[in-house]
Amino acid sequence: MMSKKLIWIFAVTAIMLFAVLNVFRKGEAETPPQPVHKSVAVDSSKCIAPASFMRANHMQVLYEWRNSSVRTGNRVYIAQNGSKYEKSLNTCIGCHSNNRMFCFNCHSYANVKPKCWNCHLSPMETP
Amino acid sequence: MMNEQRREFIKKTALGVLVGLGAASGLVPAFSLEKTVLPVWDEKPVPGKIRWGMLIDTRKCKEGCQQCAAACHHAHNVPDFRNKKDEIKWLWQNPYQKVFPTASQQFVSKEIQDRSYLALCNHCAESPCTKACPTEATFKRWDGIVAMDYHRCIGCRFCMAACPYGSRSFNWQDPRTAIHDPVTTYPTREQGVVEKCNFCSDRLVKGQQPACTEACPEQALTFGDLNDPRSDIRRLLEANETMQRKPELGTKPSVFYII
Repeated sequence: MMSKKLIWIFAVTAIMLFAVLNVFRKGEAETPPQPVHKSVAVDSSKCIAPASFMRANHMQVLYEWRNSSVRTGNRVYIAQNGSKYEKSLNTCIGCHSNNRMFCFNCHSYANVKPKCWNCHLSPMETP
Repeated sequence: MMNEQRREFIKKTALGVLVGLGAASGLVPAFSLEKTVLPVWDEKPVPGKIRWGMLIDTRKCKEGCQQCAAACHHAHNVPDFRNKKDEIKWLWQNPYQKVFPTASQQFVSKEIQDRSYLALCNHCAESPCTKACPTEATFKRWDGIVAMDYHRCIGCRFCMAACPYGSRSFNWQDPRTAIHDPVTTYPTREQGVVEKCNFCSDRLVKGQQPACTEACPEQALTFGDLNDPRSDIRRLLEANETMQRKPELGTKPSVFYII
């Protein structure tokens, strides 16, 4: 009969829809690939702050460094433990240049495109 | 707990000492970029205490010698497009009529008129460019240097229109393609920003003289603090008759010439 046929058709389409949706959901449900942290500095005890802080806040630190060193001439950064550093990208890259992908690994993962390397030497270009 | 921390501390200290010894003995290769050393001044500088200036003794300047400009442009990665239209210049030479078009002296000798004269940013005390800049990308520094903050420059070129000396150049193209012998000790600029002489603020911070002053084989350039009455430049200014470029504009240039 007509109604039985209709029920069958509905059931089949429902199952197919469910299957199709499930296939797509499977891709979503997978955990996204995590970036590999291979950036171990030459002497990690010398970093201006703990790595966890730097990972989250390096952009604020660099922004503050660039403004205060270029504009007010305050080129000395005093870290929490009292040691002094020159406010310069070279201070960072001086230790981290052993990893050519130092900045790029995370930036490509997070899809952020800072313009630093239009002018400054990146870890990839350092000698 | 306590012991664990102590152990960690001793381990880390030992590692640090080892790395230090390695670096000292040359086992760990030293980094070949610019050495990050603390600047010659330790604290935040006092605004207005120093005013850097330059005196150019054009009598000593030898015709055809380009060593100062070459040293300057090399030290700062100034691009050379080999094309007048895209030319970027920090320090360059021009004939008398172009450098001193409004000089009050009449009937100067042919010898003076035929010489070429160094031109660069005058680092004016009353700088028109900093007043024209809408983003404060160019600004008057604490030590009298008219500085550029390339991070802020939006490339509007108002400063170029305001500068009466033509000291500013615009990067119409990517400058990195035209730097023939790049140095790693100074950044480049990018397309769409204005650039000019920085009075070697990158060298002053290390306690060095500007690249042009150091490169001149005749010691024709004297660099020093105009606010210090005992400085070499002040003594030379008092002992000689000097000239400035377009003094009638009231820009108060910090670059002086002995003709």
